[in-house]
Amino acid sequence: MLPEFASVIPESKENALAYLSSLENAKIFAGGTDLLVKMRRGESCRHIVDITKIHDMKDVSEHDGLITIGAVSTHNEISVNSLINAQAPSLTRACGLVGSPAIRNMGTIGGNLVNASPAADSLAPLLIHDTMVVLESKNGVRKMKLEDFILAPYKTAIQPYELLTFIEIKGLPGYREGYKRVTKRATWAISRLSIAWAIQEKDGLYKDIKLAIGSCTPMPFRPRRIEESLKGLAKNEETIQAAVEEIIYEIKRISGIRPSFAYKIPVVKALLEEVLKG
Amino acid sequence: MKKIDFTLNGKPTLIEVEDNETLLQTLRERLDIKSIKEGCSIGECGACTVLIDNEPHYACLTLASKASGHDVKTVEFLGDAKLLHPLQEAFITYGAVQCGYCTPGMLLSAYSLLLKNQHPTDPDIKEAISGNLCRCTGYIQIVEAIRNAAGICKCNS
Repeated sequence: MLPEFASVIPESKENALAYLSSLENAKIFAGGTDLLVKMRRGESCRHIVDITKIHDMKDVSEHDGLITIGAVSTHNEISVNSLINAQAPSLTRACGLVGSPAIRNMGTIGGNLVNASPAADSLAPLLIHDTMVVLESKNGVRKMKLEDFILAPYKTAIQPYELLTFIEIKGLPGYREGYKRVTKRATWAISRLSIAWAIQEKDGLYKDIKLAIGSCTPMPFRPRRIEESLKGLAKNEETIQAAVEEIIYEIKRISGIRPSFAYKIPVVKALLEEVLKG
Repeated sequence: MKKIDFTLNGKPTLIEVEDNETLLQTLRERLDIKSIKEGCSIGECGACTVLIDNEPHYACLTLASKASGHDVKTVEFLGDAKLLHPLQEAFITYGAVQCGYCTPGMLLSAYSLLLKNQHPTDPDIKEAISGNLCRCTGYIQIVEAIRNAAGICKCNS
């Protein structure tokens, strides 16, 4: 049994925002795959705002190279969306690997970000696409970089009266892009390690590199300084080894030495080499 | 209480539910559909799988109100002892049922797969049933049953 609460089911974003600003101790229900699990484990709230009937929060559209994805889009909807697949195939892949088919039909991209698990598959691809998170409330709209939105594992900058309505990602046409993860099982598993990449090369030189590594640091991270330093360098063993070493140094600097690193560091090294070699 | 209006196994259904009621409770306790089971109740085992608009969902983590306006199917939609669906026949033929607890959910995940893909490979089948745990069979018989049923049944909703 779930704890008792009263629910409201707004059919427009405006109504949802009005409820969030007026209802005491309200939680938002979208996919339910995190919220109801927490409730089964004893968390409670007085009100639930069910946003699953707000249809325009499922829209995916493109404008000037920016793709806007409604926060109530499910992992499955994202993984079969052709616009996203054309411009952000790492996100397509990652969303297609989340949980099981039922979880992908239920869990939403907005919920995934608000839950902010450090092992969430969507995070690394969203980071390489310079994702902005759109937060709306009755008082207005604010946009934040995904990196600034997630403060710590399971902790974000969202306020109780705010709704994550959309995310905006930059399309990366012309990049070699992908997502790979290492798990204990082939499927229905949580990532032990993950990597998203988008790389542009020309005449044997790296033109642009975007990398995000998941499940190694408290939050998936982009080694931006190292990405920058690789621009214009020749794609060869020497460049790759130096870059991999620097990234691993950075991981250890952020996380400290962890017991799991005996396993994780050699795996990250192999993944990075594979990705940079292409 | 909320009034919800949905299609259950092809029949229009209008019912009042509690705000904090899951679709699993509504189906089992109000509508007497006992085929779906409460296993883990946290979305891991798949014993409560139902199809919403022909896609698998865990009813234990679905608020009943979310079903409103949608098409919901349980294994009763496929067939019964008098007229079994080819998938159900195949589960019997290939020994894919032991204790039976996972079977309704397993059948629904398989049915959803066959609606989209009439010639699934074994990896397709394994992926489709990856959210349905079976502690008896070791899955081999289940995969065999689905593979063989795929050849003979034209699933249509």
